[in-house]
Amino acid sequence: MAASRDEQIINELRLRREQHWSLYDHPNLIRAASVMIFLAAWEFYGRRTDPILLTYPTAVVWAAAQLIRSGELFRQLMVSLASLTVGFGVSLLLGVGLGLAMGRSRLAEAVLDPHINAFYSTPQVALTPLLMMWFGLGFGVKVVIIFLFTFFPILINTASGVKNVSASMVEVGRAYMASEPQILFKVVFPAALPFIMAGVRLAVGRGLVGMIVAELFTAITGLGAMLTLYGNLFETAKMFVVIIVLGLLGVGLIQATQALERRMARWKETERAVS
Amino acid sequence: MALNVLEEQALVEINLSRAKPFRLTDYLGLLRVSSVVLFVVAWEIFGRRVNPLFLSYPTAIANACVQLLISGEFQRQALGSLQVYAVGLTAALVLGIPLGLLMGRYRLAEYLLDPYVYALDATPRVALIPVLLLWFGLGAPAKIAVVFLSGIFPVLMNTFSGVRTVSSSLVDVGRAYGAGEGKIFTKIIMPAALPFIMAGVRLAVGRALIGIITAEMFTAVTGMGALLIRYSSAFATDKFFVPVIFLALLGVVLSAAVEALQRRLAPWKETERAL
Repeated sequence: MAASRDEQIINELRLRREQHWSLYDHPNLIRAASVMIFLAAWEFYGRRTDPILLTYPTAVVWAAAQLIRSGELFRQLMVSLASLTVGFGVSLLLGVGLGLAMGRSRLAEAVLDPHINAFYSTPQVALTPLLMMWFGLGFGVKVVIIFLFTFFPILINTASGVKNVSASMVEVGRAYMASEPQILFKVVFPAALPFIMAGVRLAVGRGLVGMIVAELFTAITGLGAMLTLYGNLFETAKMFVVIIVLGLLGVGLIQATQALERRMARWKETERAVS
Repeated sequence: MALNVLEEQALVEINLSRAKPFRLTDYLGLLRVSSVVLFVVAWEIFGRRVNPLFLSYPTAIANACVQLLISGEFQRQALGSLQVYAVGLTAALVLGIPLGLLMGRYRLAEYLLDPYVYALDATPRVALIPVLLLWFGLGAPAKIAVVFLSGIFPVLMNTFSGVRTVSSSLVDVGRAYGAGEGKIFTKIIMPAALPFIMAGVRLAVGRALIGIITAEMFTAVTGMGALLIRYSSAFATDKFFVPVIFLALLGVVLSAAVEALQRRLAPWKETERAL
């Protein structure tokens, strides 16, 4: 009697487990189908349009192979990444340093705050022509533009992170006779790190935009310059290769920052960015 | 008598502690103002000595501003830019919000569309400008497309995650009281997701502004961006700063307006966290 009830229950459970096959349990199938249909339609339609205006997937793959084999893509990517690294490095150093100062000292904040707010609310793109006038068209101007794009998110997030450090922690440090540098590096900096990393994540995306804008307008070296060049030559397939590389770069950089954020700021409670 | 002396002593002590030594941190507002004034004065003195081709100074900029306003040129270009901006942003909202709602509510729509949404969102939109110019020419349609693409993804992504966070118990209660899908959409999901949507709108406003400036700088035919390029190529640095200041003010005004709208439309918001 008891056994049959058990069986009944198991049967019922099995019945429930053996649901009808549902498409919703396989979202990647739907995604794959969607992408396949899109690519097929693009290929079909793209081959029939003027290649100057629209290209098609196989042509883009061909162009990619060509650009990779000639080494041009890699070379320009390195040039772009070099300026991104330098500009970002400088703004990381200065942004975190100034941010710590502004968060710790009300004096520094009062002196710097109006200028920083004014600068931050100016769309930095608008300043690029002036910067090109000042720094020319080379490596230097790219670094400056990337610096300007990335500096403010880091600075503002660092300052607000420092201001958010609970006063009791600082007081405990002081009670144990910690010196001001010790308080800064052992208490304030680690506590502000989640905020700083949120600023870094914002800055990475903006830095990429700054890099592209700088290269589009200087149009000499880098991935942005390739875009301008192939745009002027009406080589649409090659433009798409560059756009895809930039997209992948964006995804890769953001993922890397997020991984770094998880490793470096595991104790974070709030990671809310002040944008 | 002794008491009186003690009292007097105490009073004196209190008075002494009230008449604190002069501390700079008590005059932060003054410090802010003087910091700005000092900067402007230093710029004026230093700027007058530098070659006017490279750096202007505040009074020259004020002069140029009056000149441009009187000639009416500035207003004409600003109006052109604003029209394009308004059309593109409206299109982004009109398409972005419904798409986000659909993707948040129906899994089929989500799985069909999310490969494209994520791919396009990760690609820096500035990289698309050369292609868009190729497709749409140098006139208003290309700029509208740039503004649209810059603005749609923040709105779409925020709407999507807003719909996702609507608590299912709210929807269940609605269903239990016999609400149809249309009612659930308009009376439950929309209001609950509204704070997220507004956060997306706020992001979109800023991004679209950057988009239109970049596009106009690149085409260099009409609008604020074109003015920037024209004045910088003519080395008219004083005039160059007029659109820069205008754009900064525009950015501040627009984001303040969206915030005010947000407070009016969605006063029940709990989290306004932007993605």
